[in-house]
This record gives sequence, structure tokens and C-alpha cells, in this order.
Amino acid sequence: MKGIVYILEHDFRNFFRYKWWLVGLISMNLADLFIMAVVYNNMISATVQNQIKSYFNFFAPGLAVTGLFASAFMIGREINMERRREVHHYMLSLPMTRLDLAIGRVLSGGLRGMLYMSPLLVTCFAFLGLPTFGQLLLILTVLFLLATGISGLSIVIAVSTTSLEKFITARGLVYYTLFFCSSVFYPLSLIQSLGKSGAFPPFLVTLAEINPLTSASDMIRSFLIPGYMVFSIDMVTNVLLFSAIFTLVAAFAYVEIIERK
Amino acid sequence: MQKPREAESEKETNKLLLVVERDVRLFFQYKFLVIMRAIWFVSQIALFGLIASRLINSAVVPDYFHYYVAGLSVMTLYSAAMFIGFDLYEEAEHGVFEYLLSLPVTRRQLVLGRSIGGGLRAFIYVGPLIAISLYVIGAVNPLNFALTLFSLFLFAFGVSGMSITIAVAIKSSDRFDILMGVLDALIVRLSTAMYPLAIVQSANPLYGGIASYNPVTFVADLFRWGTNIITLDNPLLPLLGVMIFFGTFTFIGIVIYDKRIEGGGWQ
Repeated sequence: MKGIVYILEHDFRNFFRYKWWLVGLISMNLADLFIMAVVYNNMISATVQNQIKSYFNFFAPGLAVTGLFASAFMIGREINMERRREVHHYMLSLPMTRLDLAIGRVLSGGLRGMLYMSPLLVTCFAFLGLPTFGQLLLILTVLFLLATGISGLSIVIAVSTTSLEKFITARGLVYYTLFFCSSVFYPLSLIQSLGKSGAFPPFLVTLAEINPLTSASDMIRSFLIPGYMVFSIDMVTNVLLFSAIFTLVAAFAYVEIIERK
Repeated sequence: MQKPREAESEKETNKLLLVVERDVRLFFQYKFLVIMRAIWFVSQIALFGLIASRLINSAVVPDYFHYYVAGLSVMTLYSAAMFIGFDLYEEAEHGVFEYLLSLPVTRRQLVLGRSIGGGLRAFIYVGPLIAISLYVIGAVNPLNFALTLFSLFLFAFGVSGMSITIAVAIKSSDRFDILMGVLDALIVRLSTAMYPLAIVQSANPLYGGIASYNPVTFVADLFRWGTNIITLDNPLLPLLGVMIFFGTFTFIGIVIYDKRIEGGGWQ
């Protein structure tokens, strides 16, 4: 347990080394909300308008989730760099079990994501109103699970790729597929209607439906946007499954792959 | 037989071309970055563009998919041209700057060559992506599109000049990184790359005011005009805007590069 705390401290110190990068990322996120979403508000079709009421309010929870995704993914870049520069030998020499090391890395990625996302979530609450205490607890729990799953996913990619370029390419592919095939930017019903009309491949529609980014964004919306959609337990189950799978796979892959010569 | 002045001029031009060639070659070392940008471009069209086109009111933008694809080409050109600034920091970190300063080329040739090289490589990279856009959009007015291509060239050179100017002026990779992020967020979003000017103005007059003078707006509008997506009362006005942008940053780039290139201080 003590080992996990040391790893968390190590990774949080690293995280704050990128403070300028984080400020830039938050500025971009806020520009998306306060410029792009404000303009899109005046462009959306009447059908969508009836469904979501305001694009700005619709996008705010999605933005918190994208911020969480991007920051939780950063741990993968660091682990990939450690592997390339062979810092992982030092990590393996630390007086802690391999499991402590692996769990510490996955957890720190998730917690860093939560820390980065918090101002975006507060901005979302400031404009959409506060959830009840119970809803807040559920939102934070689901977002933490999501962040841990994303951190695990990034670690799996990081230890499976041998160069930064390959990592960046794989990350790009995962980023764009998960972002665009989700309800972060648009209601899920739009993707489903495109699927029904044959304009969108069915597997991408299914991906959008089970995508944890969709579940997390829609769960926040179900609490904060009256009449948009009803909360469903599936939203929590999707994220829980995603988190459990990638936390376990990441812990296993991290230990197995970095021990290889 | 060549006159001595002509031979001298040819020699100087060759030096400039060598600087341009080096930067173009350098760009293609980042093959994974090129692939990633291409993935981003295609997924933006095939996923975001397609779905967002159902989100938008067709009375406001009759064909948002084509509108977005045109804007996306300009956004991609902008970010590819900006990349040269990051190269300068790589060179400073690895000590290549001193090597460049020791070459038998003048400072002006160096900055002009880098600005042209930065723009050219962005254009070479974006060329196939623009071809994809044209395939998706379909109709093109050849004469108008020739003018559009000219404005895209000037825009790419101007953006790489701007990137060099900022990189050399601040000499800190951290600050450059954040400034590029913020600039990218503001320049692209406060333009007509993703939405028409009238909508930006109705959403917020301040945003509309900034978007009206944004070079990304000029080029995005010219691109749409060249591909028959929108009509323009006077296409020479945005073209003039792009020329001013290009001239300003090439000139400022040369002056600042000349003054700041020596003396170290890169962080």
C-alpha cells in the first residue's frame, strides 16, 4: 500500500511538470465551450433543439469527459518514454511489489485525470446547476472509474508500442474513434438515425452505444438537463466494465512487458 | 555567358533553395505524425463531419458536410504550417542551430528559406488531403480554385513565418507550446472554418468582429468560393487580407529572426 502512495506522489510530481501544457489544454477546452458551443447554439436544427434545448448545456458535460480522457491518457506517454529511455529498470528496482507498481501507475493516471477535469466539471455545474449530493457522488465515482479505465487503456498502448511515433499514432486512432463515436459532441440518437439510414456502419453505432464516454456524458446530462434522458443503470455498468477490463489488462501488461529484456 | 551579377544572384537563390529543401526533407522524417494527422483528417470527415451535418439547421447552412470539409482543409493546413516552430526548438535542443548559423547563407536567406520551406512542406502534406476534400465536395470552378490555391500558398507561408517569429521571439519551448495551443484554439474557433460569419456575429458581436479580420476566415471563405460552396461579393478582399498576413509575418519574421537568432537563451 505504501508503495502505491509513493508511485502516486511520483506521478503527481511529474504531472505538475507539464503545468504549461495543462494550462494550454484547459484554454483549448474552454475555447471549445465558450466559442464553438456558443456559436453552434445558433446553428442547430429544430429537431435537435427540441431534444437537447441548448447546445452549450449539452456540450458542457461532454467537455468535462473529453478533458478527463485527455489528461488520464497522459500517463501512457510518460510510461512509453520511460520504456524508451529505459527508466523502467529503475522503477522495477524500487522496493515494492510489481503489483503495487502497476496499480499505482493505473491509479495515478486516473486521479490525475480527475484533478484536471475538476475545473471543467465545476464550470459545467456553474452553468447547468448543481446535482443532488447522491448524484454528485455517483458522478464522481463514475468519472473516477472512467479515468482509471482510460489510464489503463493508455498504459496498455504505451507498453505495447516501441516508439513514441507508434504510441502517438495508436493514441490518435483511439482518441478520434472514441471521441467521435460517442455522444460527447452530439446526441446518440443522431448516430443511431444515421445507422438506420445506412449512412453509418452498424459496428460504429454499436461502439457509440457501449462507449464509456457516451455513458459518462449522458449520465451527467440525465441529472443536469431536465427532460433530456432518464438515468439508466446501464450507464454505470458500461463504465464499470470498461474500467475493470482495462485496469486488469493494464496491470498485467505493465508487469509482463516491462520485465522483458 | 552569364554576367557576374546574374551569376551571383543565381548563387544566392540556390542557397535559399537549399534551406527550403532541407526543411521539406526534415518534415518527412515525422512519418508517424503525418499518418496521425491524416487519420485525424479522415476521421473528422467520416465521423464528425457526417454526424455534425445532421446536427445543423439546413436553413442556416444548406450543406454543412461540404462546408465543414472545406474548413477542415484550411485547419489542417494551418496546423501543418505551424509545425516548423517546434522544429526550431528541436534544433536548439540538439545544437543544430549553431550549425545552421555557421552555414554560408545570410540570416535573411535562412529565415526566408525556412518560411518558404515551412509553407511548402505544409502544402505538400495537405495536398493529398485537399484532393480528398475536392473529391468529397465535387464541383470546382477551375479559375476560382486557381486563385484559392494561390491564397492557400500565401497563407501557408504566412503561418510558418508567424510560427518562426513567435518561436524565435519567446525562445522557450514551454511557452511556445502553450501559446500555440491557445492560438490554435482561438484562431481556428474565432474564424469561419467551422461556421458562417453571420452566425458567429449573431452569437457574439465580439467573436464576429475578430472573425472578420482573421486570416483563417479569409482562406476558408476563398476555399468555399473556389469549390462553389458559397458566393463572395468581392473575392479580392479576402485575397488582399491573406497577402497582408503573408507580407507582415514574412517581414516581421526576417527582422526578428535576424535580431534574436544569435546569443543563445533557448529554453
